Amino acid sequence: MIDLEFLINTLSLGSLYALLALGLVLVYGILKLVNFAYGEYIMIAGYGLYFSATVLQLPWWATMLFGVAAAVLTSYLTELAAFRPVRTKSANALIVTSFAVSIFLQNAVLILVSPRARAVQLPPIFSKTVNIAGATTPVRNLLIIGTTIVVLVLMSLLMKKTVLGIAMRAAAEKFTTTRLMGVPANLVISAAFIISGLLAGIASIFWIGRSSSVDPITGAAPLLIAFIATVMGGMHSPTGAVVGGFVYGLLFNILSITLPASMISYRDAFMFVIVVLFLLFRPEGIIKGGYTEERVG
Amino acid sequence: MTMPMLTVENLMASYGVVRALHGISLEMNEGELVALLGANGAGKSTTLKSITGVLRPVKGTVTFLGEEITNRKPENIVKRGISLVPEGREIFGQLTVEENLRLGAFSSYQRDRYKADLKEIFELFPILEERFGQPGGLLSGGEQQMLAIARAMMAHPKLLMLDEPSLGLSPAMTDNIFVLIKRLQEMGSTILLVEQNAERALGIVDRAYLLANGEVEFAGSAEDLKRKVDIASVYFGGDDEASCEVPL
Amino acid sequence: MNLTSRLAAFSRQHSTLPILMIPLVLVGLGLSMFGSSLLVNVYTYFCVSLIMVLGLQMFMGNAGILNWVHIGFVGIGAYASGILSTAPLVKGMGVPNMYPALVELSMPVIPAILLGGVIAALVAAVIGYPLMRLSDFVGVITLFATLIVIHVVMTQWDNVTNGPRTFFGVQEFTTLTVALIAALIVMVVAYWFRESALGLRLRASRDDRYAAMAVGIDVVRVRYYGFVSSALIAGMAGGLWGHFITSFSPKAFYISEMFILLSMIVIGGSGSISGAVTGTALVTVAREAFRQLEGTINNAHVLSFEVYGLTEAVMAIAMVTILIWRPGGVVGGQELRWPLLKRAKRSETKEVEDGV
Repeated sequence: MIDLEFLINTLSLGSLYALLALGLVLVYGILKLVNFAYGEYIMIAGYGLYFSATVLQLPWWATMLFGVAAAVLTSYLTELAAFRPVRTKSANALIVTSFAVSIFLQNAVLILVSPRARAVQLPPIFSKTVNIAGATTPVRNLLIIGTTIVVLVLMSLLMKKTVLGIAMRAAAEKFTTTRLMGVPANLVISAAFIISGLLAGIASIFWIGRSSSVDPITGAAPLLIAFIATVMGGMHSPTGAVVGGFVYGLLFNILSITLPASMISYRDAFMFVIVVLFLLFRPEGIIKGGYTEERVG
Repeated sequence: MTMPMLTVENLMASYGVVRALHGISLEMNEGELVALLGANGAGKSTTLKSITGVLRPVKGTVTFLGEEITNRKPENIVKRGISLVPEGREIFGQLTVEENLRLGAFSSYQRDRYKADLKEIFELFPILEERFGQPGGLLSGGEQQMLAIARAMMAHPKLLMLDEPSLGLSPAMTDNIFVLIKRLQEMGSTILLVEQNAERALGIVDRAYLLANGEVEFAGSAEDLKRKVDIASVYFGGDDEASCEVPL
Repeated sequence: MNLTSRLAAFSRQHSTLPILMIPLVLVGLGLSMFGSSLLVNVYTYFCVSLIMVLGLQMFMGNAGILNWVHIGFVGIGAYASGILSTAPLVKGMGVPNMYPALVELSMPVIPAILLGGVIAALVAAVIGYPLMRLSDFVGVITLFATLIVIHVVMTQWDNVTNGPRTFFGVQEFTTLTVALIAALIVMVVAYWFRESALGLRLRASRDDRYAAMAVGIDVVRVRYYGFVSSALIAGMAGGLWGHFITSFSPKAFYISEMFILLSMIVIGGSGSISGAVTGTALVTVAREAFRQLEGTINNAHVLSFEVYGLTEAVMAIAMVTILIWRPGGVVGGQELRWPLLKRAKRSETKEVEDGV
């Protein structure tokens, strides 16, 4: 029996996971990079929220801008400093680089801020609950669903209607040929990182919104979710990532309800086992997409 | 005498340790239709890749319109006016015909000109108008080849290079493509054509270079080439045992 | 061919192992006679790390697959060997929830370490086949997820591992001599493995999967054998490590430790045994230096806060720098061979293909 509360819960969780997965797959599509530093963009956005809200006491809209901007900037800077020079090297070199970038950012925050968690003040609306047709749900669950709908519509307009979007889709399919159309390689790659950072930043507001705190390893959990959601949905198209995010949210909620209390701590392990088993039968994920495996040369 | 449009001097290129070009030199003047002929592995595609910047030559220079463009990025070379119709067409299968064409116009996009160009393209290739909203991947081989040529033309190239445009096409479609290439020249394009189908290519070009083993073996007018060189021997490598590739 | 030229050819061919082993033995001898206890500890730790990295090289270096699970196998080996060799009384106190059957186990250390390796290899054999079918990026993520599954099990299964709490009371066994001898043996094994028919097939599958399939190599199967062999070494390395450190928790077998192993193999060059050895040595020295520096800064109280994470941050920068300038690592994909200077030239053209 599906009640409204379960539905809203699943939709909001799925929305958050879809945003996370989408940001990861955009960069993957073009650079064929599994970006281990992606979680750190979320973490840095969290610290952006912390500084602007708790330390600087800016108004709520300014803190959100500040947090998202921090993620976008970090994403772009990591592309410039680390990924661009390694881009033409082997696929493993690229992955290891992203892992090193991730470790670097975590430890930089550890050194510069503190190993301890910091409390993030979010606008009071995040902690309120509302009653819809008998179902009680936190307002932030509705906010994330609304935000995700807006983001997905804007993203699809960007990818379908603008030249930049068309060029990014083309680059994900045939990178060298796209350059032969006169599209600068650095333009599409930087654009992918910037949008990826943007999505990480937006997702971070809601991720941090659940715990109201941030620490240097805040990024690990959302990174994993994005990983699993993308491989499950399909690494080869943005649609796959979004579908994967929602399926993951559903699976998570089902496991939370059905697993006995003694097994709940194994929930993540169960999730991964299910996903790995699924991949054995369908390695390309739920959605087969158009991204090819051509590497950026 | 005016300066040639494109000058390639002593170009050497290699894939890892394998040397593919041993010093190629060639020239192209404005308005010419020139063929680059040779067997598989002679270095035709490598030459094009080096000119377009996809491959970095080990040595040698490429000069276009008086400016050296060796080692520039592919996107900058396109901007300077060299467009390539790549081997195997390389259509974006997930993108619609419209989006493919729109990307072709990337380097010099102006809304009004784009609309006008589309009209011209549709006159040359009526089929593309019919297929305008369809994904490129659903087009037939010949249609894809037309789309690839149209896409390159959208950039208003000063020099158009075609890499094996007849590859994998039916004889009838091949005829169409060759007629079209000749027509593009008559409309004012400068064209460098790489072909395996030497007989057909020599039928339409002004001049030709014959490559073998990464070197220019012969250069001259189409008539000279037809007369002086036994085309078949180039492809069959002189002795019959070595033959494994039959020209289309 | 006369004798001298044949001898020269032979020494060129097989000079790698002596070039690597002689300095290791000399440093080991020197330290055991004159070194401070700190240096002896560092060197022992180096030798154990070297075994882990060599095990990693066997699979990751030859197959070209980033094997995140490796540190998980080290952990399985460490727990297995610890449980097998620790006296029942100590286990009963240390791990209150342990299954009685496990508490009663007790065997000498050496067979326990070997058995720990076998258990890790068995786990690899059970989970490996499906994993090896997945290539490229799905493969990377799945292996990463597998490490997390192993970690979750280690932290939650407190009837075996004592959960997230420390597992202590493991016998001290791994001295410098033990670690050095084990490292030398594993080095020979890893070298032999790389040059063996299986190693050659693995390297072929790394360089071009489809070409390898085309010449009849069953890519999934050779990867599978490589994965299991690598886990065997990892498990034994874990046992040696456990009997060196004597108390540990699941944290020791997770992402940050894997980062250290990865930095070792990437900085040295994963394509060769020489690279694995060089990288392990460089990283061990650098880490110790930075740890001392961190300690000095923190003890001097010149800063108002304690410095954590400096070592990791610097290692991360070093790694990216190496990947930019020498993507094949310091040594590259070619083994060191006797006239040492001759190879510098060759590695330059090879670099790109060897990758990480």
